[in-house]
Amino acid sequence: MALVKHIVAAALVAAAIPFGGASAEPVSIVDALGREVVVPAPPKRIVTVFSSNTELIAALGLADRIVGIDAMTRYPPEIVSKPHVGGRLGFSVDTVVAQRPDLVIVTPARQAANQLVEPMRRLGIPVIVLMSRTMTEVIANVRLLGKATSQSGTGESVARAMETRIDTVQKKNAGRTRPRVVMITGQLGNGLMLVARPNTYTGDAMRIAGADFALPTLRTLAQVSPEAILASAPDVVLFAGRQEDFDDLLTRPGWRDLRAVRAGRAWTVPRAEWLIPGPRTVDGIERLAERLRQPEGS
Amino acid sequence: MRYWLTLLAFVLAAIGIGACAGHTWVTPAAVLRAILGGASIESALLFEWRLPRVIAAALVGALLGLGGAVFQGVFRNPLAEPYLLGSAGGAALGATIALLVPLAVSQAFSLPVLAFAGAWGATLLVIGVSRAAGALDVPTLLLSGVAVSAVLGALRSFLMLALSDETVSLQVVLSWVLGGMQTPTWIGVGGLAIVTAVALAACLALASGLDKLGLGETMATAFGMDVGRFVALAVLVGSATVAASVTVGGLVGFVGLAAPHIARWRLGPLHRSVIPASAAIGAGLVALADAIARSALPPAEIPLGLVTAVAGGPFFLFLLARSRKKW
Repeated sequence: MALVKHIVAAALVAAAIPFGGASAEPVSIVDALGREVVVPAPPKRIVTVFSSNTELIAALGLADRIVGIDAMTRYPPEIVSKPHVGGRLGFSVDTVVAQRPDLVIVTPARQAANQLVEPMRRLGIPVIVLMSRTMTEVIANVRLLGKATSQSGTGESVARAMETRIDTVQKKNAGRTRPRVVMITGQLGNGLMLVARPNTYTGDAMRIAGADFALPTLRTLAQVSPEAILASAPDVVLFAGRQEDFDDLLTRPGWRDLRAVRAGRAWTVPRAEWLIPGPRTVDGIERLAERLRQPEGS
Repeated sequence: MRYWLTLLAFVLAAIGIGACAGHTWVTPAAVLRAILGGASIESALLFEWRLPRVIAAALVGALLGLGGAVFQGVFRNPLAEPYLLGSAGGAALGATIALLVPLAVSQAFSLPVLAFAGAWGATLLVIGVSRAAGALDVPTLLLSGVAVSAVLGALRSFLMLALSDETVSLQVVLSWVLGGMQTPTWIGVGGLAIVTAVALAACLALASGLDKLGLGETMATAFGMDVGRFVALAVLVGSATVAASVTVGGLVGFVGLAAPHIARWRLGPLHRSVIPASAAIGAGLVALADAIARSALPPAEIPLGLVTAVAGGPFFLFLLARSRKKW
């Protein structure tokens, strides 16, 4: 009888190992650059460069393991006091190493991957490069980081929740006419505008929310002249930014006469929901989908 | 001899300061520990990352000093400089093509070759335009250099806008344009050191010819020199030197201008001494500028080319103001 007990206990222990959060098995993942990254043990000190990567780690419930962020990251509130490892002018290998990280997560923007991947590789610190080119990739990043941090279960449930909410939005939108939308994501000093374009996660999120592109032919160049936007006569104009900046833009010649503006279908959307690829993007999709479904003039 | 010892001390001191400088400053003792094989992560950082970069910066500076000395000699023009003559811009355009356009050959091959082709082509174009305009004098050279650089810069910007896909390649190009040092492996540093030694030898081989040319084309011809052939050869050597520096350090301006000037203050015009002294001064200047770039604004890093431009631009204006009186 005692023997049976032992066997049962051993079986339970053996079965528990693959699910144990703190198992010391090395984890191997393939990142957005196709690099194989081996994380030898569940990371306890994570440097996350860029808001999106910080938010993804926080969404896995690991905000307390973040030991370094970039200077422009403001969310979630509990990480704002963490040391900065870089900002507008680039990223510091010295400062990253000084945090003694056991995992570094970056995105190839503002030189981050260029400046950090190679030194971390030489020093033997695992570094994961993430990209967010589509919403599918954004959600895949949640699962990938879940695996890399030995939190696959949490990663799976966060990712699945995002997918379910997106499914719901798409089902509600099925069969509806898609309004033609322009989303302005930035203004350049020379008067040109940056707009969300196809083949980006922001464009993807707009499509999911039920929009169509008023400027569908944009490829890699995201800069367009205001005339092109006015000429495209969109059904809806979205402005990722502050209301006062949008109001200011609408006082310029031509904008007041846009059909979308006259019909009251020119709104601001939060930059955090549309320009930071992470769980909050789904909030933005739901909010925009809701608004697009409302009939004109309501 | 004392001058050369001073120069050696300057280069070593600049490399030493460079090794200590960073967002986290370290003591010389820590650098020594890293060299002797310290096991800590700080030692690894110093040995695998900071030291190769500091030495690469010094070698890039040496190449720029050499390129500047040759160009100033061959154009008999104290304001000639790789950055202003278009050769650096040409090299950067070549490099941009190598980095962004999918080519059939490997980047390790296409990068230096296209950088060289760009540097050489741009310099020949500047010389051609100046000759067509009538003279290789200072204003003509500088103006055609400015125009050619502007065209090359525009082409490069267009390629960057049109061909990049927001991934790593554009960042690499950007870091070149602004003069960002790459950090080679120790093997890469060794290769760069060999290239620098070859460039030094090639430039020194030009020394007596440059001295004769300095007396004027008529005098040089009277010495039995084939001026046309010599100039073509010197431009080739100068362009190759600049291309080598741009391949590792990107567009780093004004070092090629300043280093030969500083060398001539004490050594006079003879190229046999000006050329190696320019290399040493360039090495020290870039190692120091790179230390500033890495440590001035923690945790950010200022592109090296901006540091040398801010420091070197006024130096150029000073030389221009002084030489202007002679025209």
